[in-house]
Amino acid sequence: MTASRTISTALKCLRRYRLRSFLMMIGIVVGIAALTMVVSAGMGSQKRVMDRVKKFGLQSIMVWAGSERMARPGGGIPVNTLKLEDAEAIGKEIPGVASVAPMGRKSGVEVKYQDRTITTNIWGASPSWVQAWDWGVSEGDFIDDEDMTGLNRVCILGTTVYKALFDSLANPVGERIMIGSVPFEVKGVMQSKGASPRGGDMDNRIFVPLSTFMKRVDNVDYVSAVKVLLNNSGDIDKTVEQVRALLRNRHQLGAGQPEDFTIVTPTEIAQVAKKVAGTFNILLIIVSGIALIAGGVVIANLMLLSVNERRREIGLRMAVGASSGDIQRQFLAEAVVITLIGGLFGLLVGALGIGMMRQFSKMPLVLSWVSVLIGMGFSGVVGIVAGYQPAKRAARVQPVEALRG
Amino acid sequence: MVQAHGITKTYNKGSGAAVHALRDVSLEIRPGEFVAIMGASGSGKTTLMNILGCLDKPSSGQLLLDGQEVSRMDDQALAKVRNQKIGFVFQSFNLMPRANALENVELPLIYSDKADITRLSRQALESVGLKDRIHHLPSELSGGQQQRVAIARAIVNQPEIIFADEPTGNLDTRSSYEIIALFQQLNQQGKTVVLVTHEPDIAEYAKRIIKISDGRIIGDQANASPKNAELALGKLTREEVRHDSK
Repeated sequence: MTASRTISTALKCLRRYRLRSFLMMIGIVVGIAALTMVVSAGMGSQKRVMDRVKKFGLQSIMVWAGSERMARPGGGIPVNTLKLEDAEAIGKEIPGVASVAPMGRKSGVEVKYQDRTITTNIWGASPSWVQAWDWGVSEGDFIDDEDMTGLNRVCILGTTVYKALFDSLANPVGERIMIGSVPFEVKGVMQSKGASPRGGDMDNRIFVPLSTFMKRVDNVDYVSAVKVLLNNSGDIDKTVEQVRALLRNRHQLGAGQPEDFTIVTPTEIAQVAKKVAGTFNILLIIVSGIALIAGGVVIANLMLLSVNERRREIGLRMAVGASSGDIQRQFLAEAVVITLIGGLFGLLVGALGIGMMRQFSKMPLVLSWVSVLIGMGFSGVVGIVAGYQPAKRAARVQPVEALRG
Repeated sequence: MVQAHGITKTYNKGSGAAVHALRDVSLEIRPGEFVAIMGASGSGKTTLMNILGCLDKPSSGQLLLDGQEVSRMDDQALAKVRNQKIGFVFQSFNLMPRANALENVELPLIYSDKADITRLSRQALESVGLKDRIHHLPSELSGGQQQRVAIARAIVNQPEIIFADEPTGNLDTRSSYEIIALFQQLNQQGKTVVLVTHEPDIAEYAKRIIKISDGRIIGDQANASPKNAELALGKLTREEVRHDSK
């Protein structure tokens, strides 16, 4: 019996028992829909991780003040261990460094323009920021060396801040805003950068010259972090060790003393993000796997019932010329065909689900051929596994007994 | 041509007690014969038919079909023999309840190499007089019509020999005559027909009657003047008309 005849026979039989076929399919539809959504969410979060790493820069490292335990970057107690001179030393003494961008930060600062007041974050930055972050202005100019030496009271607005303080079409360049109680002149507006690697809004910032920031805004003699851009990404591990040695030496840390700074590389960022996404994904994959197994068990049960109920039909088929191999293949085909159809519907439902999830969450979701292949592959496997035993049983039917009475 | 030599069939029923369904049965059926195998229930006649029809294997003995030894064939070869050389008709019709007449008749062709399945099945249904019932489900047909679908299924793959096991057992008198007439017609066209029955009245329509009892052949003789089912049918119609006009 040819494969195409086996399949068309299986399809005919499935059509004759519509309700049972429908019930068989449900479990697979649910399982594959769940799996599709999970796979696409997983791929989405992977994409997000890669986007973040790219945003951070593949050939740069970040030196944060404080040990990992002392200060989580982004908040907490100010740490005064990292000085401007450390940044300068890195630029001078470490080979292969393209640019060094020290920065200071103060969050929750009140900013006023005319009658509008907002609370935002103030960043002290040097002119090297543009190169180190690959991030410059969309309007006006960024901080220059003159601003640094003159402790100029100029500022560059992030787009979120700009939108909050100014009417949409107004040109803010040259306007005066109050940062705390100090007046600053708006010098430019930053390009929009969107979400940060940690999910914050990178556009909710005002940049001021680092020198001005240290003297006039925060009144400190230390910086929060230093971004170091390398000439190429190949030497990143070597550079990290050199920076570590340099800073340990400068901070006079003896062997065994804990570090008062933290070096973060793009690989680490990716690893942390992947780890979080990974555990989540594994859980979801297990859940949809269980749904698929349950679907398979339902199919196996209904197929066994079907074989018992159709013993007479099986006997008849054998009487008119089916070999037990033909019967076995037909029943296996029924199970596989039903799971593949269920798989297709599952993919469809999954795609719809993804569409809906996109409406409600910012989570990036990727529907790709990988999901389709995984979905159909799993369906086929479930069909073969669930149909095997029933098909074997069908093949063992003795026609003489089945046709009796 | 069917040749059986010393066929025995023994079943083991639990507790080690062996049941001898057939004991040393030998017979020969030539092409074009119309044979009735007669016997009471439990005589072994159905077992004999199942073995002659390659549905069951004998415990011992030799069975030749067209000179080919079939008693030692494997499952797949037997399936092929059943498909190409043999047609079955059963007492309880054995139609697939959810498949229409056409799909039921197609069944043997699915397992053959033949193309054009639908056309051949239509022809078979037409030849048994069911041209206008092709898309009916078995439940929408009378018993006689269902048995005719089964006969169409038995002949659709052009077998040489048709085995019918009590084909009239579930039918009224008129339908029974119709079915027997159909078998006689097929026999006239050259098909070998083997009819298993316990009713002497039905056996009268065959050209040769083999009697079987307790697993042994106890009689085998030609029926010099087989009855004609068409005539019986005509007589029945006249009686019915007379009955109605009274």
